[in-house]
This record gives sequence, structure tokens and C-alpha cells, in this order.
Amino acid sequence: MATTTAAVTLTSDLLSDNMSVSASTTCMKAGTTADGLDQMEYAYVNLVTGDEYDLIAATPTASKASKLYLKNHSIDETYFVAITQGTQAIGKLYAGDWMFIPADFHDAAGEIAITANGGTNKICYALFHEGITLNASA
Amino acid sequence: MATTTATITLSSTDLLSDELALSTTATLTTAGTATGVTQASGLSRKTTSAAAAAAIQANVLYRAGDYLANGANKVYIKNTSTTVAEFYTVVIDQEVIGRLYAGDWMFMPWIATSGTKALFTATIDATWAVGDTWEFDGITMTAASAGDTPVAIMAQIDALNYPNWTTTYVATEATIIFTARYASDATEVVYATADSTTDTAGDGTMVISGAAAGTASESDITIRPSVHTDMTYETMLIHQ
Repeated sequence: MATTTAAVTLTSDLLSDNMSVSASTTCMKAGTTADGLDQMEYAYVNLVTGDEYDLIAATPTASKASKLYLKNHSIDETYFVAITQGTQAIGKLYAGDWMFIPADFHDAAGEIAITANGGTNKICYALFHEGITLNASA
Repeated sequence: MATTTATITLSSTDLLSDELALSTTATLTTAGTATGVTQASGLSRKTTSAAAAAAIQANVLYRAGDYLANGANKVYIKNTSTTVAEFYTVVIDQEVIGRLYAGDWMFMPWIATSGTKALFTATIDATWAVGDTWEFDGITMTAASAGDTPVAIMAQIDALNYPNWTTTYVATEATIIFTARYASDATEVVYATADSTTDTAGDGTMVISGAAAGTASESDITIRPSVHTDMTYETMLIHQ
């Protein structure tokens, strides 16, 4: 069984008390403790302003425990990528920001796309999953 | 300036032929600047449960209308359950983001795009006697003195706290604008009109002189537990 661990630490002096939140999870297949996510895709892309990029060209098995990591490696603080799922706007990932979410991919509307703004954004992403359905060739 | 950082470490020694060891830290700043974010909800923890599976309801974590739209907001959610089959389904507006299984966490940007809020204008007229009342949203304004002028009555109405509405009032005027606290559809205006009741001994009046429908919020974040028995989540919002 593949063992992949995802850990996060959030720290801040924003509040009266210093904040330090940590969590760690082993990325398992849906509903099990016996079998970890054993497949991944990893890519690095440059996106010119206005370009929209579908992160996932294939369709991972829906309603599982897939995980998506995405980081904007741009340096200019005004650069960002807009994250959408289907037609739903999720948020904006600015230079240096990262995200890590469960990815449902319930149907075609569940595809995640990013659109570059401000300049050429440098994006790194990784998808951990337990199987995909390849899209038919055009 | 406050400094808030988010660090992620992804590691595996056996997923690939080569070891996976990825670690990166983001310093969270406001949109398009190098200035650190200045607001946070703080870490909160809540246990969800329902009487039966059929009674499971979604929990609203964050309402978009309460936060700055298009900011560099970040949401952290963790399912603290230890029962492996239990999960929370995370939804933004009507779109399922994914399932957080036991022990899983997520950290994502949030656009916080709200809809528009319903509003209506109330106009008061004539003479109010001491003890006359106007009730709305479960709150009752009672005229403080005999012969109160419309302006004086409006000041009293504006000074009250309404659970579902805010007020905009310009002193010396006999009108007041009520704005819903949350974006919603048009039916709320109808409800608001019906909910307003006046009880005067004299000829005092309060009429709804104008109204505008709202539209539903576009990015509220909700989660729905997979089981009706106790499940617990933790969450925090860092925002502009």
C-alpha cells in the first residue's frame, strides 16, 4: 500500500494568542484505512493571462477521496489564477499561495479549471487519486 | 503587520519510484499586495448530529455576504472523526467540492461572492401616542412619548437591533431603509412586508413605500455529515 501523508501548519500572530494549528492525514482511498491513494499526476505549467486550463484532462473516479494540491509559484504579488469548478467560482490563488482540497469530480461539471490573471502565472499541481477514466480522443 | 503562514508538506516514500517530499510555505497576504491579512475567525470546533439519517441537515460554515468578495480569503476545514467511513461533503453554493473523510483536512481560497440583499423603505406619518407600537422581525418599537413626531419615531426604530435586518437612517427624515443581513431571493421582501404590524391608538401610520428583491448568495460554504451520529469538524477562516 502506498502511504502518502499531507500535513499542514497554520501559524499567525494575528490574534491575541499566537495561533499554531497543525493537522496531518494519510491520503487513503475512500472509507478505508487499509489502502492508500496509489496514483498521482504532477505537472508544472506556465499560463499566460487569460488562458484557461483544465487541470484534469481525464476523469478521476467520482465521489472518492481524491486530493488536489495546487500552488501558484509566481512571484509578482498581483498575479493570480481564478479557480473554478464547473461554473462555480471557488477563489483566487495569488502568487505564493497554495491550496489542498478533496476533489469530487462527480461529473463533467466537477472539472476544475484555472484562469491566469495579471501576467504569466507559474502553476504546479498534483492530483492524488484512485483511478481515472480517460477521455475519448477528439 | 501580522504575519500568517500556511505550510503544507506532502510526503511519500513508496507512491513513486522516487521519494516524494514537497514542502512549501505561503505567507498569507491581502489580494494583490504584500500586506498580511488582518482578520481571522479563529479556530472553531463543532459536533454535528441529527435524530435520524433522514434528518441530516447541512451546516453553514461561512456566509459570503459577511466577508469581502474577491479577497484573498482562505478556509481551513478538518474532519476530526476517527471512523473511517464517515465524511463531510463540502459544498460551495450548490457545487460539491469533495468529501473530507475521517482525519482529512482542506485549505482553499474562497471568493466569497455574495448575491444582493433584499431591502425595503418604510415611511412613517401622522401622530403617534405614547405606547403605540410598530413590530417587525420580532422586535417591537414602543413610542416613548405622546405626540412623537415621525422623525422621533424613526429615531427610535433605528436604535433597535433587528436579528435579520440592518437599518439605514438619516436623522430628520421620516423614512428608513431596512436591508436584509443575508442575500436571498425575492420572497423575503414579501415576508418583510407581511411581518410589519402597527398598533396605534391615534392616526399614526407606517407603510412600505418601496422595496427591492434580493438574489441568492453565490458562494456560501456548507458541509453535510454523512451520518446522523456525532461527527466533529474544525474550521477557521482567514480573510481580508
